[in-house]
Amino acid sequence: MSAASSNTDRQTTTQTGDRVKAFFKDYYIYMVLIVVVVVLSSANLDKFPLFERGNFLSERNIINILRVSAPILTLAGAFTLLMISGYIDLSVGSAMGLSAVVYAMLVINGVPFVPAFLATVAVGVLLGAINGFLVLKLKITPVIATLITLSLYKGVALLLVEDGVSAIKSGGGLKMPGWFNDYGRDGVLLGLPWAFWVAILVTVVMIIVQDRMKLGKYAAATGGNPMAAELSGINTFKTVFILYVLVGVCAALAGIARASFMSLGDPLSGDGMELTAILVVLLGGTAFSGGEGRVLKSFVGALIIMSLTVGMLTLVPAYFQTLVVGTALLLAAASNHLVSRKDG
Amino acid sequence: MQAQHDNLALSVTALTKDYPGVRAVDNVSFGIERNTVHCLVGENGAGKSTIVKMLTGALEPTSGSMAILGSDYSPRSTQDARQGGIGTLFQELHVVDQLTVLENLTLGMEKSRFGFLIKSDLEDRVTQTLAAIAPSIDPSARCSTLSVAQKQIVEIARAASSGASIIIMDEPTAALSEREVQRLFGVIRRLKTANVTVIYISHKLDEIFELGDNVTVMRDGKHIATKPLTEVNGRPELIEMMVGRSISHDYVPRPGVRDKVVMSVDNLSNDLLKNVSFDVKEGEIVGFYGLVGAGKTEVARAIFGADKAEGVVNFNGHSKMTSPKQAIEKGIALVPEERRTQGLFTELTIRRNIPIMNIGRLATLGVFRPERERSVAREFVKKLGIATHSIEKYAEKLSGGNQQKVVLSKCLYADADMLLLDEPTRGVDVGAKSEIYDVIKDLANDGKSIAIFSSELEEVLGICDRVFLMYDGEIRQEIENGSDIDINTILNVVTGGGSRDNV
Amino acid sequence: MSNTDVNSSAVTGRRLQNDDRRLSDEMFITGLVAAAAIILFLLASALVPNFFQFQNVVNLVTNNWAVISLGVGVTFLLVSGNFDLSVGGIVALAGVLAVWFAQASDGANPLSTGWGLPTWAAMLLALVCAMLVGALNALFVVTLRVPSIIVTLGTMMLARGIAQVVTQGSQRNTNLPSDFGTLGNMSMFGTSIKLPVVLMAILIGVAIFVERKTIFGRLTYLVGANPIASHLSGVDNARHVFKLYLFSALVAGAVGILLASEFKSGFSSRGTLMEFDALVISLLGGVAIAGGFGSVIGMFFGAIVLATVTSAATGLVLSPDWQFTLKAIAVFLAIMAQTWALARRHK
Repeated sequence: MSAASSNTDRQTTTQTGDRVKAFFKDYYIYMVLIVVVVVLSSANLDKFPLFERGNFLSERNIINILRVSAPILTLAGAFTLLMISGYIDLSVGSAMGLSAVVYAMLVINGVPFVPAFLATVAVGVLLGAINGFLVLKLKITPVIATLITLSLYKGVALLLVEDGVSAIKSGGGLKMPGWFNDYGRDGVLLGLPWAFWVAILVTVVMIIVQDRMKLGKYAAATGGNPMAAELSGINTFKTVFILYVLVGVCAALAGIARASFMSLGDPLSGDGMELTAILVVLLGGTAFSGGEGRVLKSFVGALIIMSLTVGMLTLVPAYFQTLVVGTALLLAAASNHLVSRKDG
Repeated sequence: MQAQHDNLALSVTALTKDYPGVRAVDNVSFGIERNTVHCLVGENGAGKSTIVKMLTGALEPTSGSMAILGSDYSPRSTQDARQGGIGTLFQELHVVDQLTVLENLTLGMEKSRFGFLIKSDLEDRVTQTLAAIAPSIDPSARCSTLSVAQKQIVEIARAASSGASIIIMDEPTAALSEREVQRLFGVIRRLKTANVTVIYISHKLDEIFELGDNVTVMRDGKHIATKPLTEVNGRPELIEMMVGRSISHDYVPRPGVRDKVVMSVDNLSNDLLKNVSFDVKEGEIVGFYGLVGAGKTEVARAIFGADKAEGVVNFNGHSKMTSPKQAIEKGIALVPEERRTQGLFTELTIRRNIPIMNIGRLATLGVFRPERERSVAREFVKKLGIATHSIEKYAEKLSGGNQQKVVLSKCLYADADMLLLDEPTRGVDVGAKSEIYDVIKDLANDGKSIAIFSSELEEVLGICDRVFLMYDGEIRQEIENGSDIDINTILNVVTGGGSRDNV
Repeated sequence: MSNTDVNSSAVTGRRLQNDDRRLSDEMFITGLVAAAAIILFLLASALVPNFFQFQNVVNLVTNNWAVISLGVGVTFLLVSGNFDLSVGGIVALAGVLAVWFAQASDGANPLSTGWGLPTWAAMLLALVCAMLVGALNALFVVTLRVPSIIVTLGTMMLARGIAQVVTQGSQRNTNLPSDFGTLGNMSMFGTSIKLPVVLMAILIGVAIFVERKTIFGRLTYLVGANPIASHLSGVDNARHVFKLYLFSALVAGAVGILLASEFKSGFSSRGTLMEFDALVISLLGGVAIAGGFGSVIGMFFGAIVLATVTSAATGLVLSPDWQFTLKAIAVFLAIMAQTWALARRHK
């Protein structure tokens, strides 16, 4: 009896220390978001032409940032789940570019919105399935397999666009219909376009997947302790395959969002997206060793990065962007690592 | 025959397992009564692990049969075993740290509709099971916040709630503190009342007497006895059954041992070691004998600078090593415990493996002398009798014994004054074994000092001049080897008997 | 547990037969890659008009000196079990910095104003900066144990980012000392072969020597093949990987400076995707990303394979857009073929 009570004592004392750490771990991402917003809001933006007069928190400004952020917000959730399962997809940027091209081609050739949309999503399923096949069936290391498809999807996207033209857009007898960029630009609710609301919807779905579905739990088990997952009878092959397909679908949705925002189907429009996705997910506290991570935190991480990059454009010239993103990636990786190591 | 087995949770009949050249389990029959803690004891290599592997479907018996509650049981995989009602508590933990206790308990058994997790009585059931055996564990806690012992209890609860009527525990207390052991025992006792039979394997005989109802003793693959522990006349009888023979060892005192102390170790301590002190003389072969988890490997690694430890080490005037690199430079070489993952470069050839620990000797100003490398490789292949027709053979392709000879060659080429050999003949055939012993003796006769860390008593008594008996991270006794060795005393010490602080 | 590992035949054949000369797996794969390069070249010659010319063979190498040079550092790192995707960024950074340091300090606008260092000092300083990026890679990979793929993606962006800031997103090409363009455009031995190509050849030669004949090369394989065993065998893994990152960054820095000299400009987008191509040719050449396997000469033939494929594609009037698809297919086929060939060989 006395042994048991002294044991609970020990637990409570360590708990106080742990609780502070746990609190920080759980909420730091929101604090960072607040800090970023406060800093950017207090900067005097009147001098800078990009944002119309007023501060960072002006309605127009917020709408602007959220519209531009739609692709990464769409992608972050599924990407998080994939990284939780201990796998990675470097082809998301190319998959996004290819989807943007496919979608724009369908639309410019007269296909109405809904069929074009669905067909592009189907392409996303295919692209994700190819990744899953290479990684799981042919057992090529995830990094290399998805580097191969990074090159492949980008190559196919470039080939779909005619020589001498950089993107699918009006011209050469074909005309992009006027509604093409409504999806990415036109405010339908609170001044925000469909693309943004789809991103929200996708994120909600991914949160449900993570918290309420077998898939989310199995992803965590597969990444956290693959042996345990196998021994518990979990089909890790199926789990990871579905996650690759989900990432493919979200990359397609992101491609549609980007294409309609830019009013053209640019094969390179997703370039660098894999880096942004990794950055956002690491910032949200997902461990690259797998097992750990929250969809919602990655979503907030994406908001932070987009606020920073868009907000930064008002403070420093555009050519600072790569430097800042690279530095952020290194810092996120280092801090993420230090936090997860303390955990044991 | 069948009828009397109906009461038994598990029975094995004429169970036999052959490996090429070795009969690991020989015509073993015994029964396990329901809702008891049934202990399985025997020395290393007695065949316990092989039986467990057959019970869990990891190995198929060569002949013989198994039955659960009287009905025939022949598992082909661990899945089969689970379905047959056998759960296993492995030595490495199989809980997912990132999930909560409850999530771990239901892992793989979730009720779902269209992929959505749905509420069912499963959660209540597993929570009740957990509460019954370990009320102090909060089902909503994340497993990463639990101690090793608590994680084990979660695994036990998972096995119990997944319908296992038999749970096998293989050395479950190896990594636990005394208090955690008591907590685990509490759990095991409560399991019995929850209609679960426990098969408990441990080298710690005190645990067996404290916890067990019945015991089965194995020796050299054979079944020696199965009886209630109340009928066992204390540790001596149990040890008698485990040993049951005079170990034939042809130890001949060697004249080569000199008085000069080469290494002295004082109060070496870390997570797993407690105040380990000893010394080794020039030309001497010392042995560290103990059972699994006694701390032998930890001593070797600490001396070699591979693990951190407190305490004072003096090796030929050098203080404690801080890295393997430094240790090798100062003249200590280690044959590690796991040869395939720690000792050998399996995807390199024999020629490339051998000179690694002293690679500078093959080069002039950093440039390799390939002919020297080849001649060194040939020399060692001949000297140790490595069975290969080419020094360009990949280490992967060699048999266990020959792989071990390559690892030994690595260490010999390091030209160390002191060799640490951790399980030097594990998984090595008899012929290679005696060749390795000859090499070791020759080295000692040449004035090198050798420390052998082994869980094979014959090995230690066969060639070591002095033996340190280890239990639970400490050296419990030091004995001079000779004709007056009493095996029962040794086994008593290494299974925790006659200890200083436990009486 | 390992008792299963019993040696069934206790026969010890003590005679050493003469197949010590049997080809190592590395040389076997290298042979395959070289054969593939020759077959592809002949195939291209049959399909593409005017492809079969000596000059074309020379061009396959000389046009790719930069990527092949980068491939050396990348190959060494892959053999040690680590990625280096930062080299493309370092190429841009070193070039831009060398130009900036060398530009006279009295330019008319910020982009034509530099530090006014003599050419040699500017180049040397740029090289040091490049190696700082390599040190950063090593710091993150070795000390913090962050996966190398993520670290070097980050430093790639960091290096390119600095280059972009220094060039304000474009390039610096004015107000340079007249001797700045010497190194990159120097013709050698009275032929059209330029100095960078000769340096590449020397680098390859030295690298092959280091890889096959020195302790340094041997340690690289050990660290990649089994880091635990190499640690217990007295190898300082961390220090070795550190040196390799420094070396790779040094090569990348030199490539960047030579390119800057050749074009007499520091362009922040120079070297884009070169890290990717360097990885591709290493993989084509049979380097295993699991570590412990591969060779510089294999990487070289991998580069020839890739160059043949891409230049044949150009010869067939395929649009340059084909290059990504071709690379993807080539790497995929190479990995599958090598896995298959090794599995067969070891059967």
